[in-house]
Amino acid sequence: MRKGLLELCILGIIQKEKEAYPSDILEQLKQAKLVVLEGTLYPLLTRLKNAEVLTYRWEESTSGPPRKYYSLTAHGQRLYEQLKNSWDELSQSVNHLTNTK
Amino acid sequence: MQRIIQINIAGRIIPIEEDAYQLLKNYVASLGKQFAKEEGKDEIIQDIESRIAELFHIRLQTGAPAIDKADVQKVMETLGAPSELNEPTGTGFTKTTYLPAVYGEQQEQQQKGNRQQYDYTQPRRLYRNTYDKILGGVCSGVANYFDIDPVIVRLVMVVLFLTAGIGLVAYILAWMIIPAARTMEDLGYMSTGRPMDFDTIQRNMTEELQDLKRRGEEMSRELRDFFNKKK
Repeated sequence: MRKGLLELCILGIIQKEKEAYPSDILEQLKQAKLVVLEGTLYPLLTRLKNAEVLTYRWEESTSGPPRKYYSLTAHGQRLYEQLKNSWDELSQSVNHLTNTK
Repeated sequence: MQRIIQINIAGRIIPIEEDAYQLLKNYVASLGKQFAKEEGKDEIIQDIESRIAELFHIRLQTGAPAIDKADVQKVMETLGAPSELNEPTGTGFTKTTYLPAVYGEQQEQQQKGNRQQYDYTQPRRLYRNTYDKILGGVCSGVANYFDIDPVIVRLVMVVLFLTAGIGLVAYILAWMIIPAARTMEDLGYMSTGRPMDFDTIQRNMTEELQDLKRRGEEMSRELRDFFNKKK
């Protein structure tokens, strides 16, 4: 997968859900057939958090230890929109070029 | 026969077979090494451990009495080998410096760098184009540098010659200062910002030769006409 694309997907999922727990994110990625090594997600989340794109809060879980719920910061929201736009443009261009018609 | 031990991983108590525990311990240790230089290392490891605990928990819920080696191996496959998780160039998406905004200038610079690599536009160099000249090739060199038609530059020059008189001085100064493009390499730097490679030179040579041939034919035709008229 291309650089930045997974970030966009993650931000997209979190944006849609408002708050997301890493395992939910993984679940959604898998449902979308985006093959991802689970381990890649965690360093990414931590880096995005350190870059103040994401923030998280602990939430007690009924089954097991408390969970981290991630959400977008205002900055993250902007970043998401920016990334989304560039992706839309890119995919449009690529589609345009590769259309066989 | 296996001894079952209990471990506490991310706040969960997990029964695990001893050799499975060794395997897991090595895996987590190599993860630690992999992210050793990372700012959020401890947090990343914690998060991954907590995912491991969760996966084990799910496994135990399906009725396994303890985690065995196969379970650990499966978890390792799901999460990925340590080297795969932190490869900036391989699977790619782990390096966040490619994102806009957060990374601000750094990222812009990187993009600029990339663009430069892609269309290899090093800055062009200013030469007098001695292959297309009226006087010293200053105008066509300048035109080439700014990617405009030399005729326009020449017209502007002529206007400057006539109106202010500075044009002439400026032209002579430029003639002296700007080096002439003498070699093919110079020409390459002048027009595209990179030295000509063998292919370009070859193509240019072929064009040049064809041009020469054409001009030769033209000339001989004209000469023939000339003599025919004389007769």
